[in-house]
Parts: sequence; structure tokens; C-alpha cells
Amino acid sequence: MKRIIILLLLLLAGCRAQNPTPTAETRLDIEIQVEPVPPAVGEATLLVTVTDAAGQPVNDAKISARGDMSHAGMAPVLAETTGGTDGLYRLPFQWTMGGDWLVEITAARPDGTTTTRQFDLTVQP
Amino acid sequence: MTATRPLSCHLDVLRLPLLGRRLRGRRGRLALQLPLALAALLLVLDGFTGPQQAARNLATVTPWVHFRGFAVLALLLAGNLFCMACPFTLTRTLAKRLSLRGRRFPQRLRNKWPAITALFLLFLAYEVLDLWASPALTAWLILAYFAASFVLEVVFTESAFCKYVCPPGTFNFVYSTVSPTQIGVKNPEVCRTCVGRECINGSYSPMPVMRVDAIPGGQREVQHGPDGTLGCGTLLFAPQISSNLDCTMCLDCVRACPHDNASLFVRQPARELFQPDAWPKRWDVSLLVIMLAFMGLTNAFGMVPPVYALQHTLVDSLGIRSEWLLVGLILLAGGVVAPALLALAAGRLGQVLTSTTRKYPLRHTVAAFAPAFVPLGLGIWMAHYGFHFLIAPGTIIPVIQEFLGQPGEWARFSGTLDLTLIGLLQLLALLAGFVGSLAVANRAALRLYRQAAMPGLLPWALLLLGLALAAAAVFSLPMEMRGSVLFD
Repeated sequence: MKRIIILLLLLLAGCRAQNPTPTAETRLDIEIQVEPVPPAVGEATLLVTVTDAAGQPVNDAKISARGDMSHAGMAPVLAETTGGTDGLYRLPFQWTMGGDWLVEITAARPDGTTTTRQFDLTVQP
Repeated sequence: MTATRPLSCHLDVLRLPLLGRRLRGRRGRLALQLPLALAALLLVLDGFTGPQQAARNLATVTPWVHFRGFAVLALLLAGNLFCMACPFTLTRTLAKRLSLRGRRFPQRLRNKWPAITALFLLFLAYEVLDLWASPALTAWLILAYFAASFVLEVVFTESAFCKYVCPPGTFNFVYSTVSPTQIGVKNPEVCRTCVGRECINGSYSPMPVMRVDAIPGGQREVQHGPDGTLGCGTLLFAPQISSNLDCTMCLDCVRACPHDNASLFVRQPARELFQPDAWPKRWDVSLLVIMLAFMGLTNAFGMVPPVYALQHTLVDSLGIRSEWLLVGLILLAGGVVAPALLALAAGRLGQVLTSTTRKYPLRHTVAAFAPAFVPLGLGIWMAHYGFHFLIAPGTIIPVIQEFLGQPGEWARFSGTLDLTLIGLLQLLALLAGFVGSLAVANRAALRLYRQAAMPGLLPWALLLLGLALAAAAVFSLPMEMRGSVLFD
């Protein structure tokens, strides 16, 4: 019985999916700005700027944004867009509550490489 | 006033088909503890190895959102189910086998002061370390509970961790006093003539010992030995139990009783709050109950904007540079000092208004009204925990999916209840708690002061009203979930 439990735990420990790590050549640089400033509860826009390793704007990425509050159990805010202009992507977003937020931006290119960056933000109530 | 029916006249939960037999069985508690122990291990695993975003980790979502929500509901609707299935005490039997000296917990600490201290420290650490936001720290906390429980079980004869220290256990003890179930005995006469008192002493012994128990209607051999059952860890004698305080609902007393006389009975919810001698008239017990209600308010206050203004004011005026000190001062003032002083003032004022200063010691007066803080306290905690639980109850599903290596269906399971409806439910919890508290306080006033009940009730009613209004004001503010704002 004990062996089964240990085996089960080891299997579970190994089952969380791992994303491939982008190399230095494929890694993208991601920056965000938020409108309005300072961030406050309500409608907002995330301005995501994506550039490649050479500093050139990337316009063919699919951008996914996920906002989580620092407190567990809150519904995340999700947004997606494609087609940037000069590396800039605009994502309609919504701050559902005041407090500390963790915004995760993922840029996925057509060749399958993805880059993810996280940003800490504080939203006014 | 009508006499309360004895518990044995009520429904015996352990006689219910299937459920009763399973719970009474020798491994009945183990069957409940093992799944929770496995769950705790998975939380620890995810806490240390999973993503460190609180919203995506089992270690933070499960205990800080779902467990707390279910625990308060269970206390209200069934009983102290979490203590019953507590995985932290899983190693109790092992600890008892390792325990050689069998000392009692130090006499000076055999009260609720250690539990009050532990609760205070937990709330302090929760706020300062942002435990709700840290899967790794939550995993450490779970391990600390396991370690503390095991060590105290090894060192002391009684279950000192459960009875004197465990913060969630203390919370459950206090609010299980509203529960509709309680341990009792079928026939007190059997207990009067019982020799072994196995319900409290147990029948476990490192060496085989044969005892003969005289029971009505004949003799019964009771074997004490290594295969015996442990008795009540918190040292409650089944026929004398008049309250759920200190009862973990482990059912060890039921399993240990050789006469099949102890059981779990359905009772009128909150019955003990209306009974004069159900609780000991001790400062530690009374203040624990009153403080816990105020700690509920202080804990909720820590999540709304005015707390940050207060912190700035304290930093500017007192020059505080330590977050531990800053948050500690707020918690101490709101959760410990204020309730203690207000309770003392209400008690003294009630005595003066009813001219009973010499008739009752202040300790007795406060003890008589302390149970009145249970319904409102539970209402405050339910309003707070209910918010976290209802705001996005389905998010546990994508967290589990991601833990199992599947893509989390966040968009599908992130549905949230309407905020207005949540607000109404919070208000309802507060209102029901306040009405319940007034009823308990009114009964205490009638019992103590008879014709002068109204002036005796007045200070307590005002205190309860103030607490309820303060809680309503806090819950009406926009929730702002932030960690440290001053000392990053």
C-alpha cells in the first residue's frame, strides 16, 4: 500500500506539463504598459510591445494575457490578440478588483516558440 | 423554563445505516484521515514544486479558499468534521507508542492562553508573510502542523496540540458549539459503575493487561493491550460532556467504550450556548470566544482600503519601520486588547446597572455573556470566507487539471457569483449571527438578572450591535487584496 502511494506521488510530481525553454535566438522581449494610469478597477487596455533578440518589432505573434490576483481563488482575467503594429499589441482588459495583480503575457510565434513574462501591478480600488 | 431533553432522546448518528457502522469501526477515523493526509501531501508537493502563483497552486487555493469555506459550513450544518478527519493527528497512535514517559502538559499551560497566542501568531504570519499568496510558505505551514502535532503527542500523554495549541482546531472548537451534533451517552448509570473509564483512559497499553469490568447485568472482560483503543485525547469524560468545546469528534470514546454506551447524537443547534453551565467560567475560555469574533473583524479589515491609510498613519506618527510590529500592533489592538477591554467594560456596566456587583464576580458575568459572541463571530467569519469561496468556486478544477499535467480550462470554470448576491449573503450571515447572539445574550441576562434583565442586557447588546455594524461597514467596502504596501 505504501509503495503504491509513493509511486502515485512520484507520478503526480512528474505530470505537470513543462513548456520548452526558448533559446537566446528565439527568446522575445516583452514589455507592457497599462491604460489608464494608475491602474484602477474597471475597463483597461494592456499595451504589449514585443521585440525579438535583435530588437526588431515582432508582429506575427499570438499574445495571451492572464491576470491573477495575488490571493488564491480569484477568477483570472484572460485576453488574447494577434497582429501587432510595430511590435505593439492592444488587449482590452478588465481589473475586477483592487489589489496586487500578477499579469502573465505569453507571446507565441507561428514557428511554435513561446516566451512568457510576468509583471506585478497594483490596482487601485 | 422547560428542562432540556437529554441527548440520548435524540437521533443517534452512529445508528444510521451504513454511515454509523463505518464511523464506529475501528478504522473509521483512519478512513477519513487517509484521503485528507494524501491531499495534504499533494498540497505540500505542489506548494514546493508547482507554480508559485497562488491562484494556480493547490497549496494556496485549497486551504485558503475551499477548505475554509467548507469548514465553516460543516460546523454550521453537521459538526467538527475537519477535526474528525484531521490528517495532522494521523500519527497519533505511532506517537503514543514512542511515548515512554507520558508526562502531562504543563499545568500552567492547560488553558486556552496558548491557543489564543497561537491564533494571534497565525493571523500575524498570515498578514505579514502573505501566506495566502505563497504556495511554498503554505506548504511549510502544513508541514509545521504535522510536526507540531507529532512532537506534542510524543512528549505528552494527552493530545496537547489539539486541546491547547492548534489554531484551526481552536477555531473549530469554538464554532462547533453551534453544531447540531454532540457526543453523549445513552445511559449515564452505566458510566457511574464503569470501572475502566475506557472512553477517557482508552484500552491501549504497551503490555497486555487483563481487566474485568463490572457492568450492570453481568461481568464483561475488557482487554487492555497493544491492540487496544486510545481514549479521548482531549481528556473529556463522555457522560460529563456538555459542550463541543475541546471535542475533536474523533469518536475514540465511542470505539473505546466496552459498553457501547457513548455515541454521537443530533441535538438542537447551538443548544449549549443557552445552557448556564455548559462552559467553564474561566477568563481564557470567555476571552478566546470574544476575541475570535473580533479577530474575524480585524482579519476582514486587513483586506479593505482603510487599513492601508491606518498603516500610513501609524508609520508617520510612530515611526515604525517593521511590518511585523506594524501589523502586530493593529492585530493586537483590534483582536485582543479592544475585545478584552470592551468585554470587561460591558460586564462591569451590566453589574452596575443591575446592582449585582457583589452578587457575581466579573469573571462569572463575562462568562455568562461570552457564548453570545459565537453566532455573530461565526457570521463574520462566514461572510469573509464565503466571499472568497463564492467569488470563483470552480477555479479549483483548472488548478487540479494543471497539477495533473492537463491544460487548465480557466475560461470554463472561472464563473463568479454576482457580487450583489454575494453581498446579500454576507449581510444575511451577519444578520443571522447578530440575531442569534442577541437571543443568547437575552437568555443570559434573564438567567442572571431576572427582572433587571433589560439594563443588564443593554451593554452587551450595544457591544454586539457595534461589532455587527463594524463588520457590515467593512464588508460593504471594496475588497482590496494586497500584501505589504509599505515595506517592499
